[in-house]
Amino acid sequence: MAKAPLTLLLDFDDQVRRDRAQPATFLHRRDRRFALACEADKQNPDAEHWLDYLARLSHSRGREVPDRDPRLKPWRRIALVFAGLGAMLGMLAMLGLLYYDGSQQINVTVILAFIFLQLLLAIFTTAQSFLGWRPWSGLVKTLQRRLGQGPADESGSTILEQLQPQLAARAAHLGGLVFGLFGLVTLLFLIVVQDLAFGWSTTLDTAPGSFHSLVAAVASPWQQLWPAAVPSPELVSESRFYRLDESAATLAPTRWGDWWPFVAMSWLVYIVFPRVLLLLLTVSHLRLRVRRLLASHPGRIALQYRMETPALETGTGPADSADQPDLSTGLAVAEVPSSRVLVRWAGATVPDEADLLDGKNSLTVNAGGANSLQEDQRVLEEVRGYLDGDRRNVLLATRSWEPPTGELSDFLEEARECWPNDSLIAIVPLHNSLAEPPPDHQLGQWLRFAERRPDLRLRICHPFRSLNASGIDGARFAVSGGPEIYS
Amino acid sequence: MTGVNRTPVFAVVGHPNKGKSSVVATLSQNDAIAIALEPGTTRSRQAYPLTVDGEVLYTLVDTPGFQRPRRVLAWLEAHSISASDRAETVAAFVQQHRDDPRFHDECELLTPLIEGAGIIYVVDGSVPYSAENEAEMTILRWTGKPNLALVNSIGSDDHSAAWVAALGQFFQVVRRFDAVRAPFDQHLSLLKAFGQLEPGWEQPLERATLHLSQQRAQRRKDAARLTAQALEDMLSRRETRTLTANQAASLSTETLAEELRQLWYQYQRQREQTLRLAVEHLYQHTRITRQEAELTWHNEHDLFSEDSRQAWGVSRSYLTTAGFGAGAVGGVSIDALTLGHSLGAGALIGGLIGAAGSFYYGDRLTLSALKLGDWHQGLQTASFGPVQDSQFGYVVLGRAVDHWWRISQRNHAGRDPLDLEPTESHWLTRLDRASRREIQRAFDLCRKKRGLDTASRQRLAHAIEAAFDAYDEWQLNSH
Repeated sequence: MAKAPLTLLLDFDDQVRRDRAQPATFLHRRDRRFALACEADKQNPDAEHWLDYLARLSHSRGREVPDRDPRLKPWRRIALVFAGLGAMLGMLAMLGLLYYDGSQQINVTVILAFIFLQLLLAIFTTAQSFLGWRPWSGLVKTLQRRLGQGPADESGSTILEQLQPQLAARAAHLGGLVFGLFGLVTLLFLIVVQDLAFGWSTTLDTAPGSFHSLVAAVASPWQQLWPAAVPSPELVSESRFYRLDESAATLAPTRWGDWWPFVAMSWLVYIVFPRVLLLLLTVSHLRLRVRRLLASHPGRIALQYRMETPALETGTGPADSADQPDLSTGLAVAEVPSSRVLVRWAGATVPDEADLLDGKNSLTVNAGGANSLQEDQRVLEEVRGYLDGDRRNVLLATRSWEPPTGELSDFLEEARECWPNDSLIAIVPLHNSLAEPPPDHQLGQWLRFAERRPDLRLRICHPFRSLNASGIDGARFAVSGGPEIYS
Repeated sequence: MTGVNRTPVFAVVGHPNKGKSSVVATLSQNDAIAIALEPGTTRSRQAYPLTVDGEVLYTLVDTPGFQRPRRVLAWLEAHSISASDRAETVAAFVQQHRDDPRFHDECELLTPLIEGAGIIYVVDGSVPYSAENEAEMTILRWTGKPNLALVNSIGSDDHSAAWVAALGQFFQVVRRFDAVRAPFDQHLSLLKAFGQLEPGWEQPLERATLHLSQQRAQRRKDAARLTAQALEDMLSRRETRTLTANQAASLSTETLAEELRQLWYQYQRQREQTLRLAVEHLYQHTRITRQEAELTWHNEHDLFSEDSRQAWGVSRSYLTTAGFGAGAVGGVSIDALTLGHSLGAGALIGGLIGAAGSFYYGDRLTLSALKLGDWHQGLQTASFGPVQDSQFGYVVLGRAVDHWWRISQRNHAGRDPLDLEPTESHWLTRLDRASRREIQRAFDLCRKKRGLDTASRQRLAHAIEAAFDAYDEWQLNSH
């Protein structure tokens, strides 16, 4: 069943409020999928379809009786109160107007004045609704609070508050219509059960001709349809009465009641019909306002954007940030051992080479990097020739910032096979110069590399070795009597 | 084969520990990718697709670094006869060594290439150039795939010129790209450069950059809306407590005021943190460590500290002029009602009232006092808030805009904690008058417990967008 426009608007507003707490990316994905589904089904992606789609996905059955929207309960109650009051007041007003104790005729002038006052009030109610003026809004709020139907939060006006002028006008016109109908029924009932004597009277110096012109003008809408309901000049002339003039009583008693068709038609045409028309107008206006509010609803504009704009997903893919490598190490940076062999690995340059090597008859060779594997093999054999007697230490200079790779592991494995088992291999990760120690994180990767290798005679060395066991975090000092660099 | 109709795939390859994962994290806006200054953090290849309505426009593949390039090259050279069989030989190498643990990393990084991926070769431009990596560059050239070299910067030194010159001999395109600091425009420019590598890739990459630009614009709007909502919530917050006669008698006014004040403070801090998280999630930052005092009462950068007020508050003259503007807008309705017969007096009077209000409330350090309601059916309501100090709104706004700016500028490769230090000057002075007025008007409505209607909320969000612009411009000019 299609939703009533107002229920649709309220449902939409509720959904937009619920969506406020949702992440924007989720909303975009959800609504874009809906738009694409509509496109595939050749459906219009309007608000009603959207709400149905969401309700379907949530297995929500929606409101089974659209006219019984609980959010509109206060307004239904207000309309009911207006209708009840209208019925009661309609009867009372007509009984009052037709009060006849036999001493005096019922004054048609008073009835006409009352009818036009009612018409004026009906027009005023409509104007108020169109202008959006709400002098009674405080009263409605109080009523809503009493009924426990107040807005959920104090911030801002709800969508229903914006429709208050139209909703109130609808209730007022309904009350006015019931008032008119009950007044008419009371009139007809009294006409049947009583003999009503109508006449007209006024303090003003008005000739019967003028009064006839007035009632003829009033009766003009129905003079073709029901000529008997238009008072004749004779009736007007003869039914004038003065409170202190007894001569008026000379009119035949049957003629006093001839005014009733005019009174009934005036009531019908100037109270009941305008209320019907204005009620229809107010209902149309309410629907128009509801449609406009829905069309200009900020949530609708945002929804439109989400439906029209493709959903972009960039952050998907494996998430492994929690799987961080273990950066701890039990090794420390050792002192550089005495050696006369230096292997420069993968282009490592040693500006202060002489400071590292042990005097005369030393060997400096290049390995890794741009060397071929055969050249590396030749280097291993050449170094083996230098490892004699008790001088079996080899320095392997590396660039501290280049991480140790599988190629270095392979080279060390081959070296271990080629060189004497008790030879010590000292990896020296170098920064820009010997005087400049590498940053902690660079030294750390070399220490962990050495720790992972099953080689007890492999060291990570530097002219500035670490003081503490962690090797990288504590204060450092210069060994070999060198100047202290930093602490 | 790189078929024209195939979705572009880019394998980000290189030496270990040169920032490959950082490049992927930034370009895929994914801060869940593991990044560490430790070789071997990436052990296997991972694909990060960019999809639009479920359609993949391109995929970035993060790979481990080369471990034994010379051995691989030696194998390739030993199995190749001519240049025409090189790509096949690379594929044969992967096929043969798939289960060999020594070549695990090489197989992982070469697999996407033999499946048709383009090459994004990453080097670190902050360390000196070395010709030692030529073996891996040669292997990549053997794959015959479209290629681009990226000079990333991990450290503070700059050797990028030497790298650019050298890499130009091996790669079709060489670009500098700092994965942690590159602004968003550079991300788009780089993606467009990826598209230039192969004719069939240009169109999907163009589409991707267009969607990314639109997404960024929308995120800005969403961030402004979130900020407006938080401001409204925080500024109109009122703590209430209903007391029975016994409770009213046993609690002193001071104790009750302190209790409600603490609840109010707690709400404000929590609401601010909710906004922080919402903005971060909007920009797909889900793992940020923030260095911003939130619940530490005595911190100098706390929401309610005098330091924050000094940093983010506005001057009294600013408040007065903004208050005049906001009041004048209200006063215009009087002129409209009299069809202009009041000759603008409504606007003037409204403006003066607004200015006076802002001047009066603008420099009060005290928060709202406790308000005790009338007794009703044996119950009394005590309330605290909303805050009457106009500066409070500007402090919240200033902190929110600053946080938004840092998040919107932050790349997903960034792993440093986000330090939200207060600034030293008032950026809001760059904001246009209409936006100032809207902000002040919204603050006044919240202060007076009137709440904002939908249109006012929208206007506030627009004004906050203008504030984002003003802050952006201020940051650009001040750094």
